[in-house]
Amino acid sequence: MDFILSSLIFSPLLAALVLLLMPARLQKPAKVVALLGALVQMVLAIVLYFRFDGTAAANGQQGYQFVEKLNWIGFSLGSLGRFQIEYFVGVDGISISMVLLTGIIGVIGVISSWTIKKNVKGYFLLYLLLLTSVMGCFLALDFFLFYLFFEFMLLPMYFLIGIWGGPKREYAAIKFFIYTLVGSLFILIVMIGLYTSVIDPLATAAQLGMLQTSGINPDTILQVQQSLQQNVIEGADLVRTFSIPAMMDPANFIPGSLLHVFSGTVLWDLPIRFIAFLLLFAGFAIKVPSVPVHTWLPDAHVEAPTPISVLLAAILLKVGGYGLIRIVYPIFPDAGAYFAVLVGGLGVLSIIYGALCALAMNDLKKLIAYSSVSHMGFVLLGLASLTSEGVNGAIYMMFSHGIISAMLFLVVGVIYDRAHDRMILNFRGLAKRMPAYTTFVVIAFFASLGLPGFSGFIAELLVLVGGFSSPDITGLLPRWLTIVAVFGLLLAAAYYLWALQRMFFGKYWIFPELREKATMSDLNRREYLMLVPLAILAFLFGIFPHLLLDKIGMTAQGFTELVLRSGQEQLNMVLSTIIK
Amino acid sequence: MELTQLLKPLAGTPQTTTALVVLLLPLLAFMVLFSFGKRLPRRGDWLAIGISAITFALSVYLFTQTWNTATYHTRTVWFSLPSIIVSDFTAGILLDNLTVLMLVIVTFISTLVQLFSVGYMHGDTGYHRYFAYLGLFTFSMLGIVLVDNLLLLFIFWELVGLSSYLLIGFWFERPAVVAANKKAFLVNRVGDIGLLLGLFALYTYFRTFDLEALRTLIGSGEWLNNNFIVTYSLNGEPWLLELSPLLLTLAGLGLFMGCVGKSAQFPLQIWLPDAMQGPTPVSSLIHAATMVAAGVYLLARCYAFFTPDALTIIAIVGAITALLGALAALNQFDIKAVLAFSTISQLGYMVMGMGTGAYDASLFHLTTHAFFKAALFLNAGIIIHAMHRGLHHAHLENIDPQDIRNMGGLRKTMPFTFYSYLLATAALAGIPLTSGFLSKDAILSVSWAWAQTMSANGNLVYFIVPITGFVVVVLTAYYMTRHMWFMFFGNFRAPFNVTQIRFSAKLETERVMLVPVIVLALLSLGIFFSLNPLSFSGSWVVNGIGLENFSFGLLADNLMQAITIQDNGNHLVHIVIGVASALLAAVGIAIALIKYNRKTSEQLAGEQLNSTFARLSYNHFYLDTFFNTSFVKPVLWTATTLYRVDKRIIDYTLNYGSKWLVVLSKMVSWFDRLVVDGSVWLVGALSKVFGMLGRNLQNGKVQSYYAYSLFGFILVILYIVLF
Repeated sequence: MDFILSSLIFSPLLAALVLLLMPARLQKPAKVVALLGALVQMVLAIVLYFRFDGTAAANGQQGYQFVEKLNWIGFSLGSLGRFQIEYFVGVDGISISMVLLTGIIGVIGVISSWTIKKNVKGYFLLYLLLLTSVMGCFLALDFFLFYLFFEFMLLPMYFLIGIWGGPKREYAAIKFFIYTLVGSLFILIVMIGLYTSVIDPLATAAQLGMLQTSGINPDTILQVQQSLQQNVIEGADLVRTFSIPAMMDPANFIPGSLLHVFSGTVLWDLPIRFIAFLLLFAGFAIKVPSVPVHTWLPDAHVEAPTPISVLLAAILLKVGGYGLIRIVYPIFPDAGAYFAVLVGGLGVLSIIYGALCALAMNDLKKLIAYSSVSHMGFVLLGLASLTSEGVNGAIYMMFSHGIISAMLFLVVGVIYDRAHDRMILNFRGLAKRMPAYTTFVVIAFFASLGLPGFSGFIAELLVLVGGFSSPDITGLLPRWLTIVAVFGLLLAAAYYLWALQRMFFGKYWIFPELREKATMSDLNRREYLMLVPLAILAFLFGIFPHLLLDKIGMTAQGFTELVLRSGQEQLNMVLSTIIK
Repeated sequence: MELTQLLKPLAGTPQTTTALVVLLLPLLAFMVLFSFGKRLPRRGDWLAIGISAITFALSVYLFTQTWNTATYHTRTVWFSLPSIIVSDFTAGILLDNLTVLMLVIVTFISTLVQLFSVGYMHGDTGYHRYFAYLGLFTFSMLGIVLVDNLLLLFIFWELVGLSSYLLIGFWFERPAVVAANKKAFLVNRVGDIGLLLGLFALYTYFRTFDLEALRTLIGSGEWLNNNFIVTYSLNGEPWLLELSPLLLTLAGLGLFMGCVGKSAQFPLQIWLPDAMQGPTPVSSLIHAATMVAAGVYLLARCYAFFTPDALTIIAIVGAITALLGALAALNQFDIKAVLAFSTISQLGYMVMGMGTGAYDASLFHLTTHAFFKAALFLNAGIIIHAMHRGLHHAHLENIDPQDIRNMGGLRKTMPFTFYSYLLATAALAGIPLTSGFLSKDAILSVSWAWAQTMSANGNLVYFIVPITGFVVVVLTAYYMTRHMWFMFFGNFRAPFNVTQIRFSAKLETERVMLVPVIVLALLSLGIFFSLNPLSFSGSWVVNGIGLENFSFGLLADNLMQAITIQDNGNHLVHIVIGVASALLAAVGIAIALIKYNRKTSEQLAGEQLNSTFARLSYNHFYLDTFFNTSFVKPVLWTATTLYRVDKRIIDYTLNYGSKWLVVLSKMVSWFDRLVVDGSVWLVGALSKVFGMLGRNLQNGKVQSYYAYSLFGFILVILYIVLF
């Protein structure tokens, strides 16, 4: 057992500790330390990507690789069993893409932060904390651990927007904080509910002393689960757990507990499991963000400094989609099947609504923020379809959007650095003055609007194919939903090309008041250093999708089968108890 | 049938490897020229043209290897999803007669156009960028032609759209140019949405995008109780499909939507006239000869997937397009606008041919049209170039060099241009002995047979389609004669000496521009396509790509057989149609000559739109206005409204809610201060009061204590006495 996952999580934290001990006046070394921390994390992520075995079977419940599992907090609750929180991390096909993305964007973000002047030490401290908590989120397999990292992300983000942001930064930071905090509360409620309902079969076996007699074998777990369902285990021997994989197996739920499939509890005319699903979904949908809980995003993006926008769009939004795939769907597959139209419908609503809002924008950064809303809608649609193509596409979309949105926000940062303004109508004909910059703008825009040859196309294609075939393959989504979604492609082309037309083509002109301060020079070396690798990655994953799909595929397939099968079974069980 | 067997990888052959080289060479040219073109000698035009020439040579080699001899197919797995209901996504190259024919056309015209551009684009600041973009275009166009599956085809389809966007927008400093390239891309995207949905429909049921596999699966199906039944297995799992004709028709129409966008069919043809804002050689290569024909090529590739109903709609759309395009061309004054509308009209012809079962005739027309229309556009380029030169010498800035009313009499000044223009025009108008006559005649004959077949039950309405075809013959001859009359006959009407437009005393224009034009114009002769220049039936093109070469069944098999039988019986009709189309062309020419021969030079120079129809036709039936008011504006309005919803409803509710939260918290804090804290304070205050009282009693004076105890004693006595 090596500790690559822990190293991934804590290497930025280590750098942060070093930074903490350095005097604040050493600005350059502070940057270097931060860069080193991020670089180490990226290298580890790439190493992990190559070492990860994409051919191994996995389905979210099993098949994690590089697992590290330690008892962290554990004590007896008397007749209620044992309380147990584990340091439990592992990686599968769903998280590997996010880990790789976080590694790459972490470094790009540091390079982009190189021009930060205000309180450099504090900035990079918070930045590194953010990297640690995001990586922790993607690797944690214990719900409590996940929640810890999930909540901890808010803290550095709040200060990074609130201190280093634009003119309305306080409002944006508070809005971001409260929005997300409300979401976290929903998640917390369900997490506690799950904790009261689920046991760890293996630890329970150990508690019962079964491991001494027979050692660990697959039957042990089955035996424990059977005795659990027959109610023959004494309460004091139950080892309660926050383990996410344990929560995915309905056999681990204590009979009569709140979230057991046969609990029969009804709240507002819905089975309690459905309510739990909706709460979790709401919590993660805020993070995705899905319409109508998306309005924190444009404000946060507009006020955040460029590197933080990049991080926010490229990685933080992915935590929402990742949570849906890792936690919400496999734990509540029954509700996933039941609410497929709701989830897919919100996805399509986000696609169209976000694209239309982007069309109405005059602020380039806001336009891109809304395009993020639109693109993340594809994640919801693909996931809701529960087809192999759709789920692969949803994960691919998260990765691809990470790369492309990072490019987009960097590109906006370039113009903002030079003119301290980014209103579309204040510029015209930039192509003549800044040809290299315009080339990258065109690449980023076309990549984002789903031009084949870029990663975004593969993602959109898979999601749409999955959604379209869903009525015939999984029977979850109506056909018209996907047909409406396809029009998102047209709208995306419309807002990007219109922006290109207004801002970059035509005769060179900028708003008179900007002329004094603005120096419209073309890209510098640091900007090339950020944009070129991202452009190459967008190409690479657009032309050779197997680079990622081979890693994702088996897990996505196992996940799809598991969720679909147990979704139908459990849905019948849940509904049968309600009818009785 | 096991689908994985149909999709198994196929090893490469020297031919397919050559084809891959042909595909990738232009991409190489693009990358080199885009990155380093500025620093290369002559800014790299030799590199672009050299690479183009090599691809042409290799294409000819492939043609000799493939034409009527063999088909080559190589295929490999592109990526795969590990699911038993998802087959591998494959990628491959397919060489058959149609492919190599298109390959030769595209590389040949591309080479000539690049050669022409050396003269036309001379001295432009973006010279290397121009050749780079042409490389990108050639790459994408060859991709469409070479690939063996619909997903890859769609990918190159979009890349062609991108290169068209870049090339139309080449002079991006002009506002009209940038509006035009955006419009072209967006309108094409509308069509692409349909195409994507069509692809999804095929994929949903047949689980693959591979053309050969799709053809085999569909060919193996049969109609049963008005449903199309196909059975196959995928990874051993049986798939039983029962598809309704409506669904198949809709899927086919989805695919056709792609064609409607790219090949500028009604109602999406509005982008093509605007696309003329690009450099003229680009219009020649992309918006006349090759890219716009890609839609027709798509129809040909997917011919097996169209139901008779879908084909009928395709035929009708094609006929409408042919008619509208020709009508709009009647009253244009811009030299390129006439040719653009004529292109729309001719593309309508091809699509109409596809819809009426004239599969081979339609592709034949695609081939002949590519040459003569490229010749016409390049010729127009020469004239515009020459007019620019003249205007530049004469220091006249406010005269439109593209307005044919400012031209006239160029016949004598530019004889080579005139004769090549004349030849290409003859082909376009369908004069016997030209290539256009052959292909147009072929389409008309088969569409007549189609109408006969379709109206076997006595419903003669189907004859409207071929009759529209005949009407368009008249219109085409008319507008091209008018066009030529304005440019080449009478006297020169712009206010400077006509000889100033010549390149030099000896040469009317640069040699590098003249040679490609003459070559293309010569290829408008019928003799190159059929040894008997009066009959298309012996044409090697038609024989090489006919439906009879298909080794698989079509959804519209029955209809096609009926049409063929009908057509084979139409001996006399063939002759009548041939003669009629030639006569109709003559009629069109005659009307135009009679009308314009009478007009004086001043009348021609001051020609205005003086009837409602002329204005309608000049403005392309106000289709642009219609789309603007009925689609673009509502969408923009919705966009701004939704953004207001974001700000005024969602955010307002949140902000309002948070305000109420503040009010509530103020109330709570007031309650906390006054009631909760107040009661605590009250308790404290009370105890203080009582404490004060008690303290005052204990003042240490014996007299007081005595008085208190006396007072108490009296109280006790009073109590006892009273109660």
